Amino acid sequence: MDAPEPIRPWWQRLIRDPAALLAAVVLFVIVVCAIAAPWIAPHDPFASSRAVMKPPVWNARGDWAYILGTDGQGRDMLSRLFYGTRLTLIIGLVSVGIGGVLGSFLGLLAAFRPGFDPFVMRFVDIMLSFPAILLGLALVAVLGPGAGPVIIALAIASVPDCARIARSIAVSVMKQEYIEAGRALGLSNMALFTRYLLRNSISSIMIFISLRFGQIILIGAALSFLGLGARPPTAELGMMAAQGRDFLLYAPHIAVIPSVLIFVIVLAANVLGDALRDVLDPRLRS
Amino acid sequence: MKRLLTTTAILLTAGIAQAAEITIVREVDSNNYDPHKSTARGASEVLFMMGDTLVSLAPDMQTIEAGIAESWEVSEDGKTYTFKIRDDVTFCDGKKLTAEDVAYSVNRWIDPETKSPVGWRAGEVESVTALDDTTVEYKLTAPFSELLYQLTQSFGTIIDKENVEALGADFGVTGFNGTGPFCWGEWTPRDKMILTKHEAYTWGAPFHSNTGPASMDKITWQIVPEENTRTVAVITGQSEVTQYVPYIALEQLKATPGVEVVQSDLAFWTYFMGFKIDKETVSDPAVRTAINLAVNQEAMAEDLFFGVVQPAYSYVSQEALDWNRDLDDKLLKYDPEKANQILDDAGWVRGDDGVRSKDGVRLAPTAYVFAGSTWGKISEAVQAYLREIGVDMQIEAYDATVAWGKLATQEFDMFGMSFPYVSSGDALNLYFRSENMPTPNRMNWNDPKTDELLLAGATALTDEKRSSSYGEVLEIVHDAAVWLPLYHEPMVIAQSDKLETIVPHNIYGSGLYKGLDLKFKE
Repeated sequence: MDAPEPIRPWWQRLIRDPAALLAAVVLFVIVVCAIAAPWIAPHDPFASSRAVMKPPVWNARGDWAYILGTDGQGRDMLSRLFYGTRLTLIIGLVSVGIGGVLGSFLGLLAAFRPGFDPFVMRFVDIMLSFPAILLGLALVAVLGPGAGPVIIALAIASVPDCARIARSIAVSVMKQEYIEAGRALGLSNMALFTRYLLRNSISSIMIFISLRFGQIILIGAALSFLGLGARPPTAELGMMAAQGRDFLLYAPHIAVIPSVLIFVIVLAANVLGDALRDVLDPRLRS
Repeated sequence: MKRLLTTTAILLTAGIAQAAEITIVREVDSNNYDPHKSTARGASEVLFMMGDTLVSLAPDMQTIEAGIAESWEVSEDGKTYTFKIRDDVTFCDGKKLTAEDVAYSVNRWIDPETKSPVGWRAGEVESVTALDDTTVEYKLTAPFSELLYQLTQSFGTIIDKENVEALGADFGVTGFNGTGPFCWGEWTPRDKMILTKHEAYTWGAPFHSNTGPASMDKITWQIVPEENTRTVAVITGQSEVTQYVPYIALEQLKATPGVEVVQSDLAFWTYFMGFKIDKETVSDPAVRTAINLAVNQEAMAEDLFFGVVQPAYSYVSQEALDWNRDLDDKLLKYDPEKANQILDDAGWVRGDDGVRSKDGVRLAPTAYVFAGSTWGKISEAVQAYLREIGVDMQIEAYDATVAWGKLATQEFDMFGMSFPYVSSGDALNLYFRSENMPTPNRMNWNDPKTDELLLAGATALTDEKRSSSYGEVLEIVHDAAVWLPLYHEPMVIAQSDKLETIVPHNIYGSGLYKGLDLKFKE
């Protein structure tokens, strides 16, 4: 008789999924390039040159000095992409981080203290009625354009979704017997909240946040595309795509390359998020 | 058989008599078409076609010719202008135009109740009265050498009192009764403005190829905000003529069969960045001079605007009336080494990050510009040049809806702006008079000598006096480097080759002026 297959650690199961493995590798490479931008960028990303709108190297008029060509100001596209990816990722990570922590806390609190529930959930409903783009526009109008206001807007926009998910997860956790057992043992509320509720909800919440990351990157890029995000000369992928729009018919690489990169980042983040859910969610384990 | 012949005949006649209609695409609409209540180029473009002015400006931008007034006399003291009005002019509704209408139009223009942002352009008026049906006396309290030039602008359009009073607040919104070669058809704001031919029109200025009536039966001004879409509209023949094609597309348009690109050598629309001269960093003349020396206008004109625009080193076109020729050799041109030297000498020391500072003040001026691709390109290019000399210019771009308000504050150190003008005096009086602070004199240029000279120029009785006064002002402001001139924008028009070749006009950036020259080839 065959022995039952031992349960492998989650990461081993993850890398057995080829799509997830590819997504993880792609994201890893992108993140490394973003972190290493100052050392690997072949040119100063902010210095313009007379070589404007140079096509990428695979074009007949391309030049190895500018592998991905130059933009309308004669700045090196490759170097700007490294720096732009960095800012795009920072905006996504920081805002999802802040929004996720705040939202999860609200959601857990609502489940833990049913007295708060109606207030928290109505508050969340109100926030849900504000589209992130509108919120971004309003905040930028007050605070002025820049990466900071965009991060704040995206963080706020992430709160309601995270709160709802965290609450629904926490509500089911609260019904478990071990919570009652904990209460019976006379654990303090604090201990019950952190040791029992938080620890048992966190993995599911993390999966949701990782799925949310791709969406946030997209909204952030959209805000930058509208000119609300990073201030020039800073590079940001959405802003680079917007700057390339004027040249779309004549030098399409200026808009297309950053757009493709946004697509790849979001796709990889979503595929990886999905795969993480598959391996971490006990209900989906086969 | 007979019926077939008749049908064919009808069809043939219909074919021959097919109405001449064109569509002109443009970027933005105006908020209204009341000549006294809009300064938008979009309003002027249409008003020139729907209305007439007392006098007209020839395409050379210097010669004043007849308009509604067939002749005029100026008193010796320069304070009284007597206009002889044509007696064959009628409004679109068929009513005859009289001197009363002219007097009413100017009086409404300068009436404080109208709250016209362009009232000053009419001069210091004492009274404007109709002496009889064809004579108007225009009396000033002080001579105004610019007056005839100002009266060529769309703000001086002759309007119909009954029409204004009947429409009230809707004047120029739901209708407009003018005497121009075209009449108000229908306006759908932010979509299109339809004009129809004014059949009775025969009083076009002599420099037009056609003095009326217009060849076109109908003109549709269509709003298309996206520049690539406008380019495609011209290529595919959806639009017969436009001045709003991106420079990047001009080579392609020139190579497109059926499309012709015409350009005026004159460029009376200037782009510049101004300095608020009482702000901590840019109050130092050395900083302003260095910034002027750091920017390569020639490279910008070639790389960003594909050589279509003229690099600007002067605050007005060097072709403009009263430009001071003595300044031609003194203009600040690209010399980054000298710029660095000047900043070093002035005590601005580079820090670790390459940015200069002095007495703890970082050389990082904030510039307010309009959001959009044009100022985006310009300001980023300037920013990159300034980095080279250790100036860390901060760009803050605002949408046009809030930008004008922001530009009236004291919050910024530099600002980006562009403007049309007919002459040096026009430009200087607008921007450098101390009473025009904080806007449009956003530099806070407060110099009694300048005010005195501007007044002397405005009230000059001779061309020489006017020219020398304005010339001196030009020298003062150029010496102080109050602006960073960037480029002069010429008038470029893309047109279908089915149309006769257009002679572009530069008046207030309205390249088609009265639309009288628009004509399909025979």
